Amino acid sequence: MQRVRLQVNGSVREAMVEPQLSLLRLLRDELQLTGTKEGCSEGYCGACTVLVDGEPVNSCLFFAVDADHKNVTTVEGLEDAQGRPHPLQSAFVQEGGLQCGFCTPGMLMSAVALLEANPSPDENDVRLAIAGNICRCTGYQAIVSAVVAAAAVVRKQDAQRSARERKPMHSRP
Amino acid sequence: MTAMIGKKIPRADALAKVRGQAAYVADLALEGSLAATLLRSPHPFARIKAIDVTRAAKMPGIAAIAFSGNTPAKPLDFGIKDQHLFPREYVRYAGEPVAAIAGDTIEHARAAAAAIAVTYEVLTPVQSIAQALAPHAPLVHPDWQAYEKGANRVLRGNVCGYNRIRRGDVASAFSSADVVVESKFEFSPGIPGYIEPRAAIARREADLGLTVWCGSQSPYSNRDDLAAFFDLPQERVRFINQFVGGAFGGKILMATEWYAAALALQCDRPVRMVWSRQEDGQNVFPRHGGTATFRSGARNDGTLLAMQASFFFDTGAYIGYGSGTALIATMLASAPYRIPNIDLEGTLVYTNKQVAGPVRAPGGPQSTFAKELHLDELARVLAIDPLEFRLHNAWEDGDVSPTGQKLASVSVKETLRRAAEAIGWHQERAAHQGVGIACSWWFSSCGRSQANVEVRADGSVHVSSGNPEVGTGSAAGAIPLIVADRLGVDPHAIVLTLGDTATGTYDGGVGGSASTFSAGQAAKIAADDVRDQLLARAEEALEARRDDIDLHDGTASVRGAPGHAISLAQLASQSGGGAISATGETKEISEPEFDASLVQSHDFASWLAPSFTTSAALVDVDAETGRVRVHRIVTAQDVGFAVNPTGIVGQIEGGAVQALGFALSEELLFGAGGIINTGFHDYLLPTAVDAPKLDAIIVTSPSSEGPFGMKGVGEPPVTTPAGAIGNAIRDAAGAVPYTTPMTPERVWRALRDAAR
Repeated sequence: MQRVRLQVNGSVREAMVEPQLSLLRLLRDELQLTGTKEGCSEGYCGACTVLVDGEPVNSCLFFAVDADHKNVTTVEGLEDAQGRPHPLQSAFVQEGGLQCGFCTPGMLMSAVALLEANPSPDENDVRLAIAGNICRCTGYQAIVSAVVAAAAVVRKQDAQRSARERKPMHSRP
Repeated sequence: MTAMIGKKIPRADALAKVRGQAAYVADLALEGSLAATLLRSPHPFARIKAIDVTRAAKMPGIAAIAFSGNTPAKPLDFGIKDQHLFPREYVRYAGEPVAAIAGDTIEHARAAAAAIAVTYEVLTPVQSIAQALAPHAPLVHPDWQAYEKGANRVLRGNVCGYNRIRRGDVASAFSSADVVVESKFEFSPGIPGYIEPRAAIARREADLGLTVWCGSQSPYSNRDDLAAFFDLPQERVRFINQFVGGAFGGKILMATEWYAAALALQCDRPVRMVWSRQEDGQNVFPRHGGTATFRSGARNDGTLLAMQASFFFDTGAYIGYGSGTALIATMLASAPYRIPNIDLEGTLVYTNKQVAGPVRAPGGPQSTFAKELHLDELARVLAIDPLEFRLHNAWEDGDVSPTGQKLASVSVKETLRRAAEAIGWHQERAAHQGVGIACSWWFSSCGRSQANVEVRADGSVHVSSGNPEVGTGSAAGAIPLIVADRLGVDPHAIVLTLGDTATGTYDGGVGGSASTFSAGQAAKIAADDVRDQLLARAEEALEARRDDIDLHDGTASVRGAPGHAISLAQLASQSGGGAISATGETKEISEPEFDASLVQSHDFASWLAPSFTTSAALVDVDAETGRVRVHRIVTAQDVGFAVNPTGIVGQIEGGAVQALGFALSEELLFGAGGIINTGFHDYLLPTAVDAPKLDAIIVTSPSSEGPFGMKGVGEPPVTTPAGAIGNAIRDAAGAVPYTTPMTPERVWRALRDAAR
């Protein structure tokens, strides 16, 4: 057993883990964060996608011990401090970007990583970013539309935020 | 119509799902749970000489072992009584569960599984349809003659199903035809492809009952089957359906539920069986593989005169729910075309493989692919545009089905024209590009379904339906819309209880494109009743005539006098007379008449509220590599009436990409030791970069039988795209393989053979 200490969705968590334990099992079984799903356990379906230091990983193939001293974000960490859904979550709801919902948490995490890297993705960029997340229900189109729509919302929010942040600097005497 | 029905409104479960709060079976953690696994047969066919569990049972941490020696000996009944919960004399496919083991941890259970001693006498397996039908073939069921079976069931050695539809005289029609074309097809088996592997938790209760947490398409019929099998009082067995991570026909029959229950009945702790992807792959109910031979004759002007078609489907080791595939395949084979002389046969064959099942639109993709490629070939021989050829022969109102059912609300030509227009049928294209079109028909189903609608004293609206939400959006999308519409409330404020047998609201389950048609109808009946009661109370409270009262925004108000209103909470409170509730149940709809003299051992010859669907595809073929790139799939589907457009578009788009997998990449491979590709790394489901641009065209030609005039929605959109893709490949490259999936190698070989 080995001690790991990591940040999960902003909170410090500690656990004693076997060296072969996956991050997925740590999240689901030890930390009771069951929003992250297990679809294939072999890194192909992407349902278990989480962010480790901002990078999307298949948590089923990522050792828990390798998450030591890292920042992990799961679907449970997407809402803002006031509990408001992330623009991606809202867009998935509005655009019909989910059906059974099992791929959705992983799909969202891949999309979060995409928008961090590329705030203005086109449909093709989105498809490439979620190529490792299999959805059997939707045919992907509604998901792609949702991500493109959410990107516009995020850009607008960022612009407003930076405008707010700039203002006091300019008004400083 | 009304405020909400037919509008694009997010489904009720969407927010819980994007938040990661929707609980699937594997997300439940019951205290003290045992972990369970299975011991599986390593052989496709063997006689079980002995099973010894004594050593395994004594191992540390082992709570229960269930196997043929301690579970009921009666066979399961799926029309032919050919299967036991655990095999007793023979194992008939590699991966067949022989014993289930529950232990403190999954490692304990696995260790004990390895310690169970099974002595097998290995037998020669039947691995293909050809082997099954060969003279002196080994029998998958050596005792088949002793099996009980239902009426209309055919069982002869390795043949476990046969049906025929015959009209007119094909032989003389062929001799009078100007052109006769014959084509042979092969279909590979595939998987449903749900992303959530199957899982169940079962717990024996203090009252000697049993609770099963499941992710099923059919919790009520599962409960009935389980209670009957273990001789438990039905009312003490409770199935609680969780959110379901996709199903597509693969979660109708029980699997993990059986084993978790068998183990839980032997111990005092909850038993949890959660399959890995690889385990799920061993017990999947695949889409049927098989073959088809088509022969059709036409006059030079394109008029179809005769069609002969024969299907053989590999249904695996047991009958299960596999027989519908052959029944539906023959019903589709000559449709939706006016063909005076037909002879259509469907045969189901046992082999030593996993039990094939009713994957979304059983028989639909296979039969439609073959029929539409075959008729396109005929159109090409006649040098008639494939669209014109179809329009020339397609059904119209008043035509009859293959079995003589008189047809109404026939919209096939509208779907053909609209799909063709959207794909740009008559436009110029690059040399390596092609378009193809394919159309079909499908049925609606009205299963028994009940719903309860209740307005409580606090004004909250509660809806209980036995229909489980497996992802399609019938239960979480359509039902709230229907109730909200009748009661004038916000659909997202409705509290939904779905698929929990403790509520007593029965439902036949998700399947046969039945959910909104049945469960939606039950919800509508219940909501109409509650609406009547609310209006009656409002009449008194507001001293107004019922006709002048509107229900909206959670209130009843007098039209033209907006201040003159009363809330639903007041109407349903003690002073208003107490909570208001009603239960609705689907009305029996008599089956449309058909001509029984045209069919032989066919018990699905009459189709309720038929719908019509056309898909068109635009593809690009690389002749050097055989690689096909699908750019666009358009599907025009007649849904009768669109209760929940967001859900319908989701069904059409999702169906198109499942069909894309069937057409180009999905192929379940069997080796001597069973399924080779049980994982998603080697069984290729389409990804976001494989999926093309999709267009969903909703056609509404109302049925007289469905609620609001609707027709069944879920299955048709997976039936037509593969035929459109195949025809587009031939349009682009001049040849097409008659085998699914049309992999690059098969396309390349087809092009090479055509060039010779």
